[in-house]
Amino acid sequence: MSPDAYDIKAKLGVVFQDVAVFEELTVYENIDYFCGLYIKDKEKRKQYIEEAIDLVGLEEFKKYHPKQLSGGLLRRLNIACGIAHKPKLIFLDEPTVAVDPQSRNNILNGIQKLRDGGATIVYTTHYMEEVEIICDRIIILDKGKVLATGTTDELKELAKIEEKVTVEVNGLSPQYLEAIRKLENVDEVTYNGNILLVTYKKGKNNLVELIDYLKKESIRYNKIYSERPTLNDVFLELTGKELRD
Amino acid sequence: MFIHNFKYALKTLFRDKMLIFWTFAFPIILGTFFNMAFSNIENSEKLEIIDIAIVDNDEFQNNELYKEALKTLSDEGNADRLFNTRYVTEEEAKQLLEKNEITGYMILEEDTPKVVVTTSGINETILKYVVEEITTNGQIVESLMDKEINKELSSGNYNLYNLDYKKIYENVLEKTQNQEVRITNISNNNLSYTMIEFYTLIAMACLYGGILGMVAINKNLANMSSNGKRVSVAPTTKGKVIFSSILASYITQLVGLTLLFIYTIFVLKVDYGTNLPLIILLGIVGSLAGLSMGLAIGTILKTNENVKTGIVIAVTMLGCFLSGMMGITMKYIIDTNAPIINKINPASMITDGFYSLYYYDTLDRYYFNIISLLIFSIIMILISYTSLRRQKFENL
Repeated sequence: MSPDAYDIKAKLGVVFQDVAVFEELTVYENIDYFCGLYIKDKEKRKQYIEEAIDLVGLEEFKKYHPKQLSGGLLRRLNIACGIAHKPKLIFLDEPTVAVDPQSRNNILNGIQKLRDGGATIVYTTHYMEEVEIICDRIIILDKGKVLATGTTDELKELAKIEEKVTVEVNGLSPQYLEAIRKLENVDEVTYNGNILLVTYKKGKNNLVELIDYLKKESIRYNKIYSERPTLNDVFLELTGKELRD
Repeated sequence: MFIHNFKYALKTLFRDKMLIFWTFAFPIILGTFFNMAFSNIENSEKLEIIDIAIVDNDEFQNNELYKEALKTLSDEGNADRLFNTRYVTEEEAKQLLEKNEITGYMILEEDTPKVVVTTSGINETILKYVVEEITTNGQIVESLMDKEINKELSSGNYNLYNLDYKKIYENVLEKTQNQEVRITNISNNNLSYTMIEFYTLIAMACLYGGILGMVAINKNLANMSSNGKRVSVAPTTKGKVIFSSILASYITQLVGLTLLFIYTIFVLKVDYGTNLPLIILLGIVGSLAGLSMGLAIGTILKTNENVKTGIVIAVTMLGCFLSGMMGITMKYIIDTNAPIINKINPASMITDGFYSLYYYDTLDRYYFNIISLLIFSIIMILISYTSLRRQKFENL
């Protein structure tokens, strides 16, 4: 896109990872300033600003300066500044980094409202649970390369595991772990503290078989539950588990 | 768009406490300290008559201009007497200087005056400036003579052989006589530590506009700040946004300068003399130079705002130091040993403009400084413009 592609720029909204607001301006003035770069009509702008403030829940903070806001509120202001002009295509770069659960919830709700209002949203995040909540199509990128694309279900298909069973159990000896490892469909067994995690390559009712084995060996457990693989598992599967910078 | 950005640029500038301190408060605080410190020195140091020597060689004897001027300035009956002059040989002058019996001596060599001093100080500076002044007046007389002769010849009443050169010379001298006396008076009245400090203070306040110029750039460029990233993705022309911000910065700077003038004139009772409009004009042009310097620093350096602010302040303070803020001696040393530094130092151009208003009766040197400042500003703006034109971003 060339710097003078104003028609395209007018339809874009960008929310950068760094909070980009003026410390010297109030919440309302900040939104007004950035919205004013797109919308010339004062009345229309006023209406858009009010709607943006409602969307991110900053009604009570209009006259506050950024320094008076918490981290979460600041993130919400950052979003309001980027979307007040009602763009058709919105880029959000990790908008929920280091925010409290309430603000995160508010932000995610706001993004869903924007999506429902017809905007296309490109959302960048490391939080896979957020992706599962709000994204229709997902791209997993690693070091600038596309590793996988698709819907949540399509990506989960890519995971080598089909089911995860977690058991809260004390003092499990190595021979039991070895025996569990040899059960049908088992991919991997890990035992940390008192948590036994068994992952299965395929099948959806592996839980029953594991319970039968524990009963047969008279192993007492506190809690046992089964999960489908999450996007987090897919992400780790595709990008590797080693630590990153 | 322009007005929208201009309005908010003004708001952000006036609400920025750090900027307000450096632009508005710091020069006023410094001015107050100068006033407290130097008014005492001023009261204790009345202008003394300076002991000098003139090498009484043939060239001096044949040069009416220097002979008459120095005679007037050394006349015991003259209330504005500046020098106690001894007419000696070059050898004697050297000896007197070695024994510290004189501040310095002047020798004419091929009609060019040479001032010899051993140390730097206010008296040495006075001697140097007065000799320069006489030279300038000599050039004025020469120019007026040419004009008068041409006028008489073109009138047809005279030809080259019957022209009354003596009469023309006397007329010209009469015209310049009153000016010379006035120059001497002005020089005496204004040879003041406080005034020199206030000139450099105004120069400093002008150049602090650089911080505002730098901020105008930083807030609007994608590679400088987060806000700049946001501005760069908006459907606005970079030129419009940056120009409106620069205009807001310039107005803020001029408001700061106005407050400084008001404070120094009405609170500190500084007397800027009768040339206040020209002083204000110099302030306005000086501020433009400061602003444009900040723009250049803002565009060229790829570092954070605090570092850039530090650089603008450091450059400004160094410029003011070299132009005589911490003592007029420094200006003299630079003028003598490395004049090029003060030719490209905007602080020096500003202070020199102020000096010229008082030390010279003509405005030539004043306008020379004004033009120098404008050229400096244009160069800085061109550097900034070129640098900005080249900036394109692959990613933000």
